[in-house]
Order: sequence, then C-alpha cells, then structure tokens
Amino acid sequence: MDAAALLTLTGLRVDRGGETVLDGLDLELRRGEVAVLLGPSGAGKSTLVLAAAGLIEVAGGAVEARGRVAAALQGAALARRSVRANVEAALGWWGVPRPERPGRATRALERCRAAHLADRAAGTLSGGEATRVHLARAVALDPDVLLLDEPFTALDPAVRGELLAEAGDLIRDARRATLVVLHDRTEAWAIADRLLVLLGGRIAADGAPAAILGAPPSEEVAAFLGFTGRLELAGGEILRLRPGQVTTVAPGEGDLDGTIEALIPEPDSAIARVATERGRLEVRVAVPGPSTGELVGLRLLGGARFEARA
Amino acid sequence: MSFVLHMLGEALDRIASGDAELLATLGRTLWLAAASAFVAALVGIPLGARAGLRAHGPVGGFRAVAANIGLGLPPVVLGIILGLLLLPGAPLGGLRWLTTMNGIWLAQVLLAAPLVAALTAAAVAQGPANLVLQARALGASPRDRLLLLLGEIRPALLAAVLAAALLGIGEVGAVIIIGGNVAGHTNTLASTVVLDLAASDTAGATAHALLLLGLVGILTWMHGRARRAAGAAA
Repeated sequence: MDAAALLTLTGLRVDRGGETVLDGLDLELRRGEVAVLLGPSGAGKSTLVLAAAGLIEVAGGAVEARGRVAAALQGAALARRSVRANVEAALGWWGVPRPERPGRATRALERCRAAHLADRAAGTLSGGEATRVHLARAVALDPDVLLLDEPFTALDPAVRGELLAEAGDLIRDARRATLVVLHDRTEAWAIADRLLVLLGGRIAADGAPAAILGAPPSEEVAAFLGFTGRLELAGGEILRLRPGQVTTVAPGEGDLDGTIEALIPEPDSAIARVATERGRLEVRVAVPGPSTGELVGLRLLGGARFEARA
Repeated sequence: MSFVLHMLGEALDRIASGDAELLATLGRTLWLAAASAFVAALVGIPLGARAGLRAHGPVGGFRAVAANIGLGLPPVVLGIILGLLLLPGAPLGGLRWLTTMNGIWLAQVLLAAPLVAALTAAAVAQGPANLVLQARALGASPRDRLLLLLGEIRPALLAAVLAAALLGIGEVGAVIIIGGNVAGHTNTLASTVVLDLAASDTAGATAHALLLLGLVGILTWMHGRARRAAGAAA
C-alpha cells in the first residue's frame, strides 16, 4: 500500500444477481485527492462504492482502508426527524461526543448551503434540499475516506452550479481521500483531480481529466467520453472525434465531405450527424444553418487515434 | 321495539349511575388490555424486529418465524393448553394462577405477542431499507440501525400494540377457560355479557356491551389513526 493511499481495492470482484459486476478491479485512493468515477449506467459505479464501504460482500479480491470510510449513497435517505437531528444522529453513529455535535452539524450545513433548513422536518424538504442535507451529513463526519455516490442529483440547475463551483472546497481536504461517482461528465471536469472511467467491470481509464480527454487510453473510453465521430483512416487507423473537434466548411474545402443525416437541436445550436465515405461523425452547426440531406465540407481539428481491431 | 328501547334505557341508567360492579369490571378489562398489550409489546416487538430484519436476507425468514410463533392459534385451544399447564401439579401449577386475573393476563399475552411480533416483522420488512443501509455507511452499529428503524416505523408499532389491546378487550374464550368468569373477580366486559345473558339480565348485558363497544370504538379510532400515520410514513 502506497504511503499516501488511504483506500486500496485489489483484484476486486463483486457478483450481484448472478452477474459479475466488478471483475478484477484495482484502485488506490490517495490522501488529498478528489477522484471522480464515471461510467455508463449499469457499469457498477454504485456497486464499487458499496464494496469499498464494506456494505456488500465481495466475491474476490481485497478492500484495505487506512482510517475510517464514510459513504453518502445514491438517493438522499433521511430519517423522519429534523434536518439538524439527522446530521447530529450521523455524528452520534460516528462516535462524535455529544457536546461537539451541534457545532459540527451547523458548520457542515452552512458549508452545504443548508443552514436555513436546520429546523425543518426532513420529510418536508424538496429533492434538492434533501440532497444538500445528505451531502452535509457525510461531510460533517470528516472521515479519512469519503465516498459520494451521485451527490448532485436532484439539485436544480442553479443550486447545482453553485455547489459545483464550491464543491472543490467543500469536499477537498488535504487529509482525506474522496471518491465521487458522477453520471454527468461535465460535473466531473468541475471537481476532479483525477478521473476514473469504469467499463466492463474494471477501471478502463485513470489519470488527470485533461490527459484522459486529450488521449483516451482506448476507443471504448473515447466513445464514452463523447468522441462520437468514428472515421476509418488509411493504414487501418481509427480516428475518434468529439463534435467540438470538427467544423463545417464549404464542400471540397475541408479534409473530407459528408452528407447531413440528421440534426439534433440544442439551445443555441444543433448537432449535425454527418455520413462520410470513411464513417460517421457529429459536428455542432449554427441554427439556422445547413439542413438534412445537404452536402458539407468537414475540417478535422484533432481527435484521438486508435489501431483498428482485427 | 319498546322492549329494546326500555332495555337500552335501563342499560344507560346503570352506566350513568356509576354502578360499582360495572366500573369494577371496566377497570379489570382496562387493566387486562393494557397489561397484556404492554408485555406483548415487550416480547413481540424485539422478536418481530429480528424476524423482519431476516426478511431482508436471502431466505424468507419472516414467513418461517411468523409460522413458528404461532400466529393464528385459536384462543380456545390456547386456553385449554394453558389451563392444563396451570392445574395443580402441572408445570405452571405452582403459580396458582388458575381462575385469577394473572392467569387471564398470561393467556392474553400469549395470544397478543404473536400478533405484535407479526405486525412488527411486516413493518420492519417493509421499512426504509435504504435509510438503514445509509446509516450503516455512516458508521451506525447494528444497535443504532435497529433503533433508527424502530423509530421510523413507530406508527406501525403503535398500531400493533393497539391491535393487541383490542384483542385483550374483546377476548372471551381464554378468559372463561382460564379465569372461570367468576363475577366480581375474573370477569371482563366481554365475558360478563355471557354471564348476564345466562342470568337473563339483558339490561346488564346491554350495559356491559355498550361499554365494550365504546372502548373498542376509541381503540379502533386510535388504531386507525396509527395505521394511517404508518401508511403515510411508508
């Protein structure tokens, strides 16, 4: 175990419902870092949190923690009592002496912008309010390893934006290792020191967000991270591109031409799905702009290259 | 019709006059219901909670335990078995509880505890499993989690205890077999109706029945409120 490692998962295998969800997963969480775990639905992200927190049996491998692990699971499950009582109850479970609980609860609620909810009954909270209390309850414990499973779900966009902007300060602690499971990739860029991508029951990518986005380690990871375009190049190479890595130009003036197959509207633009002789890709276009069936030129501005599989 | 109205009037007169025997019977009935429901709760809630928690596991623990705790045992059968055990020379004969209120109380506890246990087990099994798991993820010990769960389902627990009290108020079979239905000593409101009818005291039977009906009405109203609260909490 690395000196800075606070949680180490080695060869972790977890079976659920007769299926192997995690298969030989290795992961080390280090002191002071905020690691974000991404993966498609059903990849086993929540299972990983449950296994790392010791809440489910593992079929193989080992979970080794240095210090205490706390987890805020998916869905804000609160007891039928006041918000403050919920946070103080968790502090009691954690073993915090009674006199210290009110102060710690208040500070955690303030940090999560939920102090004004302290005397409200948990059952009267909206989904977003309950989520903030749920997050405060976990943060209040000040554990050595903090696991957060989709902590920003059910928040309205304004609050989510505020919390994301402050999330770094809120959950980052030099003494703590933090793992945050997220469904939304854009949230990951806001808070991650380290990005983990879970695919096929294993960690398929592990590194700084910019490094992984700049050079995804596999075509599967690239596809998951939004490299929706796929072109077959000469020499058997595959080029994966994000919509932002392609622009439209006049036919014949770009790297290749293609025909718009479909337009997917967005608030201020549209995503055009374009078929070319080398494959399909997506490009963001202005609205109003080209229409379905129109021939456009395409200029490629980067992308990630992979060897074609046999 | 005039006979019925006359009988009702006489019954209401007896209640209004504060008939000492009537009040004593009411007192015994209330004591029996409260004492048996209290002990049934002490015994049944922990047993039911344990059974309900097992139901979260891979095997149907709740069904197995509910079957084992004898839910649905006919009161008359229990009365006969307990009566035999309380006979002088029998295993419980040393208690000298045959034809006493204590004997009736024991019978009521044995009848009500399985009911409380079964209702508790059902409430625990349907309780907020995600909250309990979350508590565990935040360091809650098994004891902490059990207390949390019981706190969450307390309206359902109250409904279970009230159901036990209702059982105690209306029970006749075990009261007569164990207690002997001795007037002024081991008779309750329900069993006194039988005594009065045997003595052709229809006004007395009606007075006791009216009091019984009132008690049952109050407890049923409380039971309904508790069940609605339990439903709202689910």
